Amino acid sequence: MSLTVKRYVVAALSFLFLLALLLVAYQESRRFRQEAGLEPVVTVANRGCVDCHRKDGPALVMEWEFSRHAQLGVGCVDCHTAEKGDLDGWTHEGVLISALVTPKDCARCHAREHEEFSGSHHARAGEILASLDNVLAEKAAGMPGNIADAVNGCWQCHGSIVRFKRDLQGQILRVGKEAKPVIDPDTWPNSGMGRLNPDGSKGSCHACHSRHAFQASLSRSPENCGKCHMGPDHPQIEIYNESKHGIAFYANRGRMNLDKVGEWVLGRDYSAAPTCATCHISSYMTPQGVYTANSHDVGERISWTLRPVVSTKLNMVVYEDGFKEDFPDTRPLPTIGDLVETLEKVVENERLVSRKVSRRVARIVSWEDRRKVMKGACLNCHNDTYVDNFYKQFDDLVVLYNEKFAKPAQALMDELVADGILNSNAPFEHDVQWTFYELWHHEGRRARHGASMMGPDYTHWHGMYEVAKHFYVKFLPEVIEAAAAKGPAMKQKYEDRVKRLLGRDEHVWQKGLSPQEAEALRKMYEERYNQ
Amino acid sequence: MNRDPGLRQRLQEMVPFDWSLLRHIGSEPVPYHLKKWWFCLGGTVLYLFIIQVVTGIALTFYYVPSPDEAYASVAAITREVRFGWFIRSLHKWSAQFMIVAVILHMLRVYFTGAYRRPRQLNWCIGFLLLGTTMTFGFTGYSLVYEQLSFWGATVATNLAEAVPLVGPLLAYFLRGGAEVGENTLTRFYILHIGVLPTVAALLVGLHILLVRLHGVTELHFEGETVREDERHFAFWPEHGTTELMIGVLLMYLLTLTALIFPAGLGAPADPTVTPLHIKPEWYFYFNFRLLKLTSLRLSVVLTLAAGAVAFLWPFIEEWLSRRLKFPDALSVLLGTLAFLSFLVLTVWEAFAG
Repeated sequence: MSLTVKRYVVAALSFLFLLALLLVAYQESRRFRQEAGLEPVVTVANRGCVDCHRKDGPALVMEWEFSRHAQLGVGCVDCHTAEKGDLDGWTHEGVLISALVTPKDCARCHAREHEEFSGSHHARAGEILASLDNVLAEKAAGMPGNIADAVNGCWQCHGSIVRFKRDLQGQILRVGKEAKPVIDPDTWPNSGMGRLNPDGSKGSCHACHSRHAFQASLSRSPENCGKCHMGPDHPQIEIYNESKHGIAFYANRGRMNLDKVGEWVLGRDYSAAPTCATCHISSYMTPQGVYTANSHDVGERISWTLRPVVSTKLNMVVYEDGFKEDFPDTRPLPTIGDLVETLEKVVENERLVSRKVSRRVARIVSWEDRRKVMKGACLNCHNDTYVDNFYKQFDDLVVLYNEKFAKPAQALMDELVADGILNSNAPFEHDVQWTFYELWHHEGRRARHGASMMGPDYTHWHGMYEVAKHFYVKFLPEVIEAAAAKGPAMKQKYEDRVKRLLGRDEHVWQKGLSPQEAEALRKMYEERYNQ
Repeated sequence: MNRDPGLRQRLQEMVPFDWSLLRHIGSEPVPYHLKKWWFCLGGTVLYLFIIQVVTGIALTFYYVPSPDEAYASVAAITREVRFGWFIRSLHKWSAQFMIVAVILHMLRVYFTGAYRRPRQLNWCIGFLLLGTTMTFGFTGYSLVYEQLSFWGATVATNLAEAVPLVGPLLAYFLRGGAEVGENTLTRFYILHIGVLPTVAALLVGLHILLVRLHGVTELHFEGETVREDERHFAFWPEHGTTELMIGVLLMYLLTLTALIFPAGLGAPADPTVTPLHIKPEWYFYFNFRLLKLTSLRLSVVLTLAAGAVAFLWPFIEEWLSRRLKFPDALSVLLGTLAFLSFLVLTVWEAFAG
């Protein structure tokens, strides 16, 4: 073979070698971009969906491309796939899918998170559908045939029972050549936390982990919780914004490492401020190492319930099947191994029903244990004394609300029902019922939540001040007014009852301050305002 | 009164060496084809090796070869030390360029038959230099102590373990124990900055010495008419300046590459978390693909066998030619097939994920 030919061979092989290097470099750079999250991994199974929906809903696809799911090759089909027999499933482009992605679907990969979430208060948020709140939305604010207030209001946080449109035979209506099931528009779209899904699962992961980007920074941000935890009856986000914690967060958002992939540990990955997630569900550092709580059971660290008329400390009973039940400290606790009859709410025939189930106790978590876990987060920045003193201040406020206003008001309301003055089937018939409802459900909660999250203005002006004012000037007069409608004897009985109540030490101040207190008050205004 | 002998004479007295010899060596006549740059790849490798040594020494000032601090020290070099990122990037890219240059140089030597008698030994030395360069790359990559380097080292030492007879001993020696750990890093460090540079310097010296003793292979291209007095030209300054120009161009390319693609840093090594993709450096892809296509043991045996044939090829070919009248074209064909196999396996592995 001539040297010239060999020269061409060398040239050709060198060219192929450099070409191969370029190909390797291209592929390496692509892989690096994928691993760094700069480029999505579109698997063969998802290629068709992505290509088509890029034209149909480009922003939706772009959001997915931005997600951690996309980086790991988890795509449309992986979440939207349906099983044979799923009520909401239909065959789309040859693949059995469902529009509705439920916690059960997410559990295919996130089993631990699903298990924790399923036992949480969040998963049961939909059980409010049988509460006074829902009566107000469906009845007081709604009208027969139009429950739009409940649909657009309550259900968008608490969750709906997802129902289907049905024909006269009760079969699910299906439309189009792909026989897509028709979901009742009153119940979908819905991203409520406790959504009751057709597959029997409770909840919506999307409530916190907004689809399709599933950004960690979004679910770690307080605003995310603020979609529902706000307003007159549970203004947690407003309280947080008012608190030193909230102020520190907004001033230092850039230092919060909110985008951190994987675990997000207080005391290791960030320190500037706690968010809602930090205190209630996230991991934190302890002297022994990382506390890997990071539990999706949002109520696990809560030692008081601040929602009902009268607050109680909460013990938790965990049963062998994972079912969890809060036991107020006023209810005797079972012992481990006991068989306890529990009440569970489930959807049957698209309606929420109660079911009694006997379960064996596996574990008991006392309110002190729950508080200890919460304190673990606090101790990342504060010392024992500081944290203990905070809890003393908080406990005292709850006790004050309970003893001075909630328990007496509840007792009066119970008496009014017992005397036939109020009809328990007509919860909003009389003024006093509205006032009592707002007293505990709005003002009382604001005071308690305010104290729990260090929001001074919500504790006092939006909370205890309003409780006290409405207790004295609205609730008590309305109690007598309701009784008077039943006759003079009843009126007299309740006037005496209220008089006895106001004669108690904590209420006698109304009759006048002591001369020394009155003089101190006068002097303060004189010195401060020259008046 | 004694006259001052002058600086030159003083130096001569102190170093009694015949400096005119240098001129003699420098004026070595080299064949006319070396005027073309693609015949200068041997010099390119030397130039890149020198860059490796200089930048490597600079990096050694800041690198800490301990599992607890290795990654942090590389991070500090990359992010904090002034020009640290640039030196590290030059080191990384010159290593890559060096492997490319060695392969191209060997291609040229093979296909032009420059390895044949009497230069068989120099081919073997060149082949050892290729192995040394690849080992340089592998150990250097492991020193970064990021996830991929840790797991790359784990895979590589597993491969070493599969070498027949000496495998377990070799793997234990490389790891400094049963698993990749604290001792492994120290051993790789000693190999990278001590053993391998010494071996490489000795082999390069021997390689150049043999080239000098044999002279550069004369290549005569058909149809090229070269006047007798133009068949050769002096090594210095003609060829020397060509090499220098190539050096300047290389420095330019390296700087550009380092600026556009600075050496990055992945996640720190975590023995408890296996990354999604474990990949060695590209020049080991062929072996990685072979491993996936066959088995650990078979891939190692095949690689060693192929390496042994390539290493001894000048002698094997000579023996075959003598016994079987092995035609020259068949050598070219075999070489082409072998190199194409290497390329296919490399690209396949890159795209296989």
